[in-house]
Amino acid sequence: MKISKLKLAVLFSACIFASCKKYLDTVPDNRTEINSVEKVAQLVATAYPEGDYYTFAEAASDNAEDKGSGVGTLSDVSSKPYYWDDVIGADRGSPSNYWNTCYQAIAAANQALEAIDKNDFGASVLPYKGEALVARAYAHFMLVTFFSKAYVVGGTNDAMGIPYVTEPETVVIKQYDRGTVASTYEKIEKDLTEGMALLSASAYKVPKYHFTPAAAHAFAARFYLFKGEWQKVIDHASAISSENFASIIRPINSTLYDMSSADYNAAFSRSDQKFNLLLINLYSSYQRLTSPRYGYGAKLVNMFATTGNITGKSFANKILYYTVPSYTTYKHKEYFYVTNQISNIGITYLMSPALTTDEALYNRAEAYARLGQLDKALADINIVLANTVRGYTNSDAATLAKIATYYGITDPKEGVIKLILETKKAQFLQEGIRWFDILRTRMTVKHNVFDAQGNETFIELTADDNRRVFQIPEEARLSGVPLNPR
Amino acid sequence: MRDFCRKAILITALFWAFAAKADSQQGKVKPERLENYLKKIEQIYKVSFVYDANEISKTLILDVPEKTGSIQESLEPLKQKNIAYRQVGNQFILKIVPPSEPLIAKDIIVRGSVKDSKDGNAIPGVTIVVKGTTVTATTNDRGEYQIAAKDASSVLIFRYIGYKTVEETVGARTTIHVSLEEDASLLKEVSVVSTGYQNIDRKLFTGASTQVKSEDAQRNGVPDISRMLEGQVAGVSVQNVSGTFGAAPKIRVRGATSISGDNKPLWVVDGIILEDVVNISNAALSTGDANTLIGSSVAGLNPDDIESFNILKDAAATAMYGARAMNGVIVVTTKKGRQTGGTQRINYTGNFTTYLKPNYSQFDVLNSADQMSVMMEMLNKGYFQHTTASRGADGGPFYKMYNALYDYDPVTDSYALKNTAIDRAQFLNRYANANTDWFDILFQNSLLQEHSVSFSSGTDKFQTYASTSYLHDNGQTIGNNVDRFTANLRSNFKMSDKLSGEFLINGSIRDQRAPGTLTRTSDPVYGTFSRNFDINPYSYALNTSRAMTAYNADGSLEYFNRNYAPFNILNELNNNYLELGQIDLKVQAGLKYKIIPSLTYSVDGAYRYAKTDRRHYIMENSNMALAFRAATDATTVGSNPFLYTNPDDLTQLPVVTLPEGGFYNVTYDALKNYYFRQNLEFDKAFHNDHRLNVFGSMEVRYIDRQNSKFDGVGYQYDNGGIVNANYLYFKKAQESNAPYFGMGYGYDRFAAFALRAAYSYKDRYSFNATTRYDGSNLMGKSRNARWLPTWNVSGAWNIDQENFWPENRVISSARVRATYGLVANIGNANNSGAIFYNMLSRRPYENEKETVTYISSLANSELTWEKLKETNLGADLTFLDDKINLTVDLYKRNIFDLIGSIKTSGIGGEYTKVANYGKMKAKGIEVTLGGNPVTHTNFKWRTQFNMGYNENRITELQNTPRILDLVSDNGGSIVGYSQGGLFSIPFAGLNHDYGYPYFIDESGRKNPYVYLQSTKTNYLKYEGPIDPKLTGGFYNQFKYKQFTLSALFTFAAGNYVRLAQEFSSSYPDIYSMTKSMLNRWVQPGDEKYTTVPAILDPYTASRLVVDASGATTSAVYPYNIYNFSTERVAKGDFIRFKQISLTYDLPKTFASKLSMSNASISFVGNNIALLYSDKRLNGQDPEFFGNGGVALPIPKQYTLSLKVGF
Repeated sequence: MKISKLKLAVLFSACIFASCKKYLDTVPDNRTEINSVEKVAQLVATAYPEGDYYTFAEAASDNAEDKGSGVGTLSDVSSKPYYWDDVIGADRGSPSNYWNTCYQAIAAANQALEAIDKNDFGASVLPYKGEALVARAYAHFMLVTFFSKAYVVGGTNDAMGIPYVTEPETVVIKQYDRGTVASTYEKIEKDLTEGMALLSASAYKVPKYHFTPAAAHAFAARFYLFKGEWQKVIDHASAISSENFASIIRPINSTLYDMSSADYNAAFSRSDQKFNLLLINLYSSYQRLTSPRYGYGAKLVNMFATTGNITGKSFANKILYYTVPSYTTYKHKEYFYVTNQISNIGITYLMSPALTTDEALYNRAEAYARLGQLDKALADINIVLANTVRGYTNSDAATLAKIATYYGITDPKEGVIKLILETKKAQFLQEGIRWFDILRTRMTVKHNVFDAQGNETFIELTADDNRRVFQIPEEARLSGVPLNPR
Repeated sequence: MRDFCRKAILITALFWAFAAKADSQQGKVKPERLENYLKKIEQIYKVSFVYDANEISKTLILDVPEKTGSIQESLEPLKQKNIAYRQVGNQFILKIVPPSEPLIAKDIIVRGSVKDSKDGNAIPGVTIVVKGTTVTATTNDRGEYQIAAKDASSVLIFRYIGYKTVEETVGARTTIHVSLEEDASLLKEVSVVSTGYQNIDRKLFTGASTQVKSEDAQRNGVPDISRMLEGQVAGVSVQNVSGTFGAAPKIRVRGATSISGDNKPLWVVDGIILEDVVNISNAALSTGDANTLIGSSVAGLNPDDIESFNILKDAAATAMYGARAMNGVIVVTTKKGRQTGGTQRINYTGNFTTYLKPNYSQFDVLNSADQMSVMMEMLNKGYFQHTTASRGADGGPFYKMYNALYDYDPVTDSYALKNTAIDRAQFLNRYANANTDWFDILFQNSLLQEHSVSFSSGTDKFQTYASTSYLHDNGQTIGNNVDRFTANLRSNFKMSDKLSGEFLINGSIRDQRAPGTLTRTSDPVYGTFSRNFDINPYSYALNTSRAMTAYNADGSLEYFNRNYAPFNILNELNNNYLELGQIDLKVQAGLKYKIIPSLTYSVDGAYRYAKTDRRHYIMENSNMALAFRAATDATTVGSNPFLYTNPDDLTQLPVVTLPEGGFYNVTYDALKNYYFRQNLEFDKAFHNDHRLNVFGSMEVRYIDRQNSKFDGVGYQYDNGGIVNANYLYFKKAQESNAPYFGMGYGYDRFAAFALRAAYSYKDRYSFNATTRYDGSNLMGKSRNARWLPTWNVSGAWNIDQENFWPENRVISSARVRATYGLVANIGNANNSGAIFYNMLSRRPYENEKETVTYISSLANSELTWEKLKETNLGADLTFLDDKINLTVDLYKRNIFDLIGSIKTSGIGGEYTKVANYGKMKAKGIEVTLGGNPVTHTNFKWRTQFNMGYNENRITELQNTPRILDLVSDNGGSIVGYSQGGLFSIPFAGLNHDYGYPYFIDESGRKNPYVYLQSTKTNYLKYEGPIDPKLTGGFYNQFKYKQFTLSALFTFAAGNYVRLAQEFSSSYPDIYSMTKSMLNRWVQPGDEKYTTVPAILDPYTASRLVVDASGATTSAVYPYNIYNFSTERVAKGDFIRFKQISLTYDLPKTFASKLSMSNASISFVGNNIALLYSDKRLNGQDPEFFGNGGVALPIPKQYTLSLKVGF
C-alpha cells in the first residue's frame, strides 16, 4: 500500500513536471519566431531606418532660409536646427528620432543575423544575410555622418565615432563604446563588402524596398565618395545599371514635367520609377510641415529660374507653394496609414527615395572630376542638365569655358565640382542630400535671420564648428556613451 | 528549469510519502479475548470483576483500544456485546442487558415545536438531544419534533447553528414549545476565515482581512456586486468612474502598487479566480470605450446569491495567491443550501428602482441667453462668418442662419430668411430663448426592476441552493437599457464520513444597449482625447449649447450640422447604437476525502466559458453613415475626410465610398478558462494545547482569450438587410492598410505550488508560514523569468487568553497580529525573450506591400515579476462585553522591481524600454470601529465606522516624462512623488492688451507658450495624487420593533482632479460654455480681477500672441496650456450620502395568513447627495470624468424592495 501510493505519486509528479515545461512554453499571443528563411527575410525588411533626416538636415543646410517674422509656422524640429541648436526630445523629425530609428533598423539586422547563426537555414538565406549586413552598414553610415565629425579624406579621423552594434541587446542598459570615425568607417566597409557579395537581385518580392545589388552599389558610391576613394565611386556607380544613366534618371523636363501636380507629387516615391533604387517607408510628418518659417522660401526658389544655372534656361521642376513664400518641391506624398477606417484615425507615412540613380550619377561625376577626368565629369553632368533644363538643346551643354565664366572660377576642376554640387543642391532640395555635401566639402553655411522689426542679419556655421555634428540623445550617457562636444 | 523540476519532484514525493505514513498510524483498535482484557484492566486499575460465566463467555472477542484512558473508557468496548456494568466499591458486576428490552416504554414522550424568537418562523432541522444520552431528534419542516425522555428530570437540549442553545427540563410536561434566539455573538464573531483555498479557523489565521456579510452591505437597486463594497471596508476604495451597467468601478485595496500595471484586486468566487474577459487597465476604465462594458466579470453575479465577501489585505492574508496577490484579493462566497431536514425554503426578492434625471442646477453650464450673448461677441470679433460657418464640418444656429438665406422656395418666390439685420436677429432670437433642457430630453425616470427567486433545501447528506434572477433596466438615458438573467445552483453532498463534495453551476446572460461609440483616440501633441461621432447622452447634455434645439417649431426633429452631415441627437441615438450580448457559464466541482480524520485530500476543478459580442448598428440615416456620403458641394468634397481620393487617378475629386446603407460592425470576445487544484490538508490538535494545520496545494490555470471583429459595410437596414458594399470602400481600406476585420488571441498559462503551515499554542500564540512557487508563460519563452517564489511569516497573540489577563467587561478580548512577507504580480512586460510580430508593410500601393516582421521588444534577460514586501501590525480589540470591536492595522510596504518605461540610449534599438527598475514605498493605517452598542429586544443599533489612509511615494524611477504626461488627468509618476501624481503648469496671469493667459515656462519666464513635450518638469506645481489617500464609510442601522432604518455615508480625501478641458482659442456655435466664461477678460485692466482668459478675435489669435522670445505663436497653445494650468484643478475630496434604507418587516401573524414565513418591504435611496466637494467642480462628481462613449455617472435612484419567504 505504502509503496504503491508513493510510486503513483512520483509517477504523477513526473508527469506533471514533464508537461509543466511544455505547458508554460505556450506562446501567450500571436507573436512570431524567426525560425525560417522566410521569417528572416521578413525581419530584414524592417532593417531600414523609419525616421526622416529631411527635417533637420534641410533646416541646418543652406537649403533653408528665414522667411520673416510672423511668416509660416514655428516648430522646434525645424526651427532649432536652423540656428544649429539642439532639438530637445525625440519627436518625429528630430535628430534623436533619426538616431533611434537607425539603431532600431540595426537591431532588426542583428536579430536576423543571430537567427541565421543559430539555425541551419542553408544557402537560400544568404541573400538576406547580405541584405542584413548592407542594411546594418547603411544605418551605421547614416549615424556616423550625422552624429560624428565628418570624415576627412587623408585625415586621422580619430574623433568619436558612433557605437557599432553587431549583436542583439539583451539587457536593459548595455555599455557601448563610440570608437573613432576611422574605426566606424572600417566596420561599415567590412559589412558592406561582405554583404554585397551575397546579395541577389531576385530575392525580393518588392525589390525597391530592399538592398538589391543596384541599391547597394549606389550606397557604396556614396560611402566611397565620403571616404575619398574616387575610383571605387566610379566603379560602383557604373555597376548600378547596364542602361545609360540618361534613360534612368529623373525625367524632370519630360515625363515629370508633363504630369498633373497630383501625379507629380506621387511620382518621386513610386517603385515603378527607374530612378528610385532604394525606397524606405518613413514614419514621418515632414510632408505636413508645409509652411515652416525656416525652409524653402522666396530666395531659394531662384535656383530654378533662368538665372539660377549655367544654361540660362530654367529648370523644369514644378514650382508650387502653399501660400507665398512657403514653397514646396512637392516631392513628398503622404501615405496615411489608417488604423480605424470608420473613425478615420491613422499614422502619417512618407515613402522616401533613399538612394537614386540621380545621386549616383552626381557622385560619379564628382569622382571623375576629383580624379581630373573632367571630360567624363562634364559628360555626366550634362546628362543631368539634359534631363532637367526646360527646353534643353545640345548647345546648352556645360563646357569648361562656360563654367569658368559663369562661376568666375579659374581652376577648371574646382569649377566642374561647383557646377555638380550646385545642380545637385537644387535637384535634391527637400531631400537632405545637400547636408552630406556640406559635410564632405567643409562648406560654410550661412543663414539669414529676421528680427521682429524685419531687420536681416546673418549667422554662420564654419567648417570646424562643433554644431555641425548633431547631438545624440542625452540618455546615451546611461550606456557610457559621451555626448558630442558643444 | 531542470534543476527546479528535480527539486519539485522531490518535494512532491516527500509530500506523498508523508501521506502514506500518516495513513499507517490509523490502526487504533485490536481484537482481544474478554478474559484477557478484563485481567489487564484489573491490573491497571486495581479492581475486580464479578460475572456469571454462563451468561458471559470468557472467550468473547472484543475490539479494544490499544491504549486506554480512564476505567470508564476502558469498559466502553463491553457495550459491543450488550454487557452492562455496575460498580460496587472496587468491584464491577457485569451483566448482559437484553438488547430488545424496550426501555422506552418507561420514557416520557415529549412533543413540541421550535420557532425563531425574532420572526416566529418554524425552524426545521433543529437538533434535540436528551442530555447525557445519545437520544436525538430533529425538527421537521414545520419545526415540530417528538422525542423520548427518560424521566421527568431529563433535560432537553435544543441546538441550531447560529442560534443560542436552549435547555429545558422536562418535568411534568409532554409538550414543550421553544423559541430560539439568534446568537448575535456567533454571527458577529466569524470563527472561520475563507481564503478561497481554505476555510481556516480564525484562531489560526494571522493576516489582515475583513469580512463583509452581504446582508450588511446590501445595496438594493444596485445590481453590480462590486459596488456593495463601497464604504464598507477600511483600506478598500471604490471609485465609480462610470455608472453604466457592466463597467467596473476602480477598486484599490491599500492603494496602488504598480506604476504601469492595472492595480486591480483579484476576484475569487467560491475558491476560483475570476478572470476578466478583457483586461482593462484602471486608466482605461474611464475612457468610456465600448469594451469597458465587459470590464467587470462580477457583473454577472446576482447580489442575492452572495453570502459574504472577504477582503484579504496584507501579505499573510493574500499569501496563498502568491504572485498574483499584490493588489489584494476579494473572496466572494455564494450561498449554500442549509440543512433544513428536507423542507424547502423559497425566497423572493423584488427591487423596483427609478432614477432621477440630472438637472442643470447641478452643473456649471450657461443658459441659452448668456450663451448667445457670448456668441454674439464672437460674431462681432469675426467668428461665425458667412463663408466658414455655412460650410464647416460642424454648425449650430449660425450655420442654419446662413443656409436659410439661400433656401429659396419657387412657389412663394421667397427665401426662408431675408438677409436683413432684423430678420437675422429674429432668427437667432429663437435660439437665444430656447434654453433647451438636454437632460430632460435625453434622460428618463425609468424603471429598473430586479426579480430574484431562490430555493434551498437540505438534509444532512445533501443540501441544495438554487436561484434565478432577472434584471431589466429601462435605462438612465434614452440610449441605454439592460436585461440580465442569472442562474445559480450549488449542491453539497456527503457520501460518507470520509467523502464529501460540492457541485456548482453559475450562469448569466446579458443583453444591453448603449449609444453607438467608437474607440477614443488621443492626440499626443495637445494631450487631448477625441472620439469621432460621440453621442454619449450625458456628455452631449453637458457639452451641447443650450441655444441649440432638438425640435423645430412644428415639433419635428431639428437637424444641425456635424461632420458635414445633418445631426440630431434623438435621431442619432435611434440610428446609431450598440447592442451587447454576453453569456457566461461556470461549472465547478469539488471533492473532499478524509484519509484519516486529521488528513484531508481535496480537489477542485472549474470550467468557465464566456462569450461577448458587441454589435454596433450604424443605420443609413445616422449622422455617421451620412458623413460618409456628405459631398454636397465643392467645399465639403474638398474637406470631408471620409471621402476617398483614388491614387490611380489623382486628378479626380474625392468620391463617396458608402453610397448606400450603413454599417453593421461586430466585435467578439471569448474566454475559455480551466482551473484545477488539488490540496492536502493536515489538521490536528496535540495534547489539547498544540494545534497544527499544514496545507499543501498545487494548481493549474489555463485561460484562452479570443477577440475578433469585423466591419460590415453597406448594410441596408431599410431594404431588408441587403448588402451593397461599394468596392471603393475596400480599395481604400486596402490602400490605407485598414483591416476591415481582425482576430487576435491570448493564452495565459499558470502553474503554482503552495505550502502553508499554521500552528497555535493554547489558543494564545499562532504562527503562520506560507511559501508559494508560481510559474507563468506570460513573460515569454525564456525560462529564467518564468518562476517566482513568494513567502511570508506571520503571528498573532491572543492576549486575553493569558492567565494574567484580568477578567473584565471593558476590554473583553484583545489580539495583536504581525506579518512580514513577499507577494508579487506579473507586470506589463513580457519580453524575457525578444518579441517579434508580423505586419503588413505600411506602403501605399498594392504591388509594394509585403509581410514584414518587426521587433516589438528586445529581450530583457533581467525581467522579473513586480514585488512587494509588506510589514503589517494589527490589533483586534473588543469592548464592553463584545459589544464594540475595534480593528487597527498599520502597514508599510516596500515595492520594488516595478515595471516602468525607461528611456535608454536607443543604441540597442529600443529607445523606450519597459523594465523592472522602479521602487515605491507605501504606508497606511486602517481603522474599523463598530459593533452593536444597543441590543435591546425592541431596539437595536448597529454601527460601523471605517477608514483607510494610504500614502505612497516613488523612490526610484529613471523615466523622463514630458510635461504633458504629468499634467493630464491620469497624472504621471516621478521620483519623490506619489504614483499617479497630478502636476500643473503655473499660471501667471493674463495679458494686459488682449487677455490671453501667461504661464511660467521651463526657463522661469512669463510666457504664453510652454513646450508640452519638454522633459524639463521640475518647475511644475505638484498638486497631489489622483487616487484618494483617505477613504472610508460610516454606517448605522437602527431597528425598532418591525422597523429598520439604515444609512451609509462614504468619504474620500487627498486626491486632485483635472477639470474638463473647456478652453480653446475658438469655440464653435454648438458647444456649451461654463459660467466662468461670463467672468472672462473683456477689456484691458480686467486681468486684475479675473483669471478667465479672453475670447480672442481671429486676427489677434493668429498674429498677436507673442511668446517670451518675441516670436509670434499660435493662440492654440496658450489656451490649450490653460487647461493644464494651476487654474484648472480641483480637490477630489468628497462626502457622499450614499444610501438610506427603511425596512418594515410584516408582522408574523399577517405573513402567515398569506402562507409566508416572512415578508418585508424596504424603501431605499442610493447616491442621495454629494454633501461636500470642491467648489471648483461646480457640482460635477469628482469621481466621474464624463469622457463620453458609454460612460455615465452613477445616478440618484430610489428603490422599493420586497422580500418574501415561503
